[in-house]
Amino acid sequence: MSLAAASVPRMPRGVRLQEDRVRGGWVLLAPERAIALDAVGLAIISRIDGARDFGAIVADLSETYGAPEAEIARDSGEFIAALAERRILEIMV
Amino acid sequence: MAWTKPILREVAC
Repeated sequence: MSLAAASVPRMPRGVRLQEDRVRGGWVLLAPERAIALDAVGLAIISRIDGARDFGAIVADLSETYGAPEAEIARDSGEFIAALAERRILEIMV
Repeated sequence: MAWTKPILREVAC
């Protein structure tokens, strides 16, 4: 797991999830940049509320997708960490 | 819907 289960990811001020009505789909909008989300990316981001920790998010996704927690923790942990590197998410340790 | 590795795609705004 690239994130600790007790870590709490959240969206910093100025970043929001928005529907892209022009092309369909959802984007994460940050100042001067945007991230287009695929279905799995949207599933991860939509579970980030600044309160739930990473372990709870992974458990929820595992139940929804019927996939092993280890696989989901690895993939979503990398995804969240990559967004945190770009300052589009914050990780509260 | 199956789990697939999420793709991070930056788009111009």
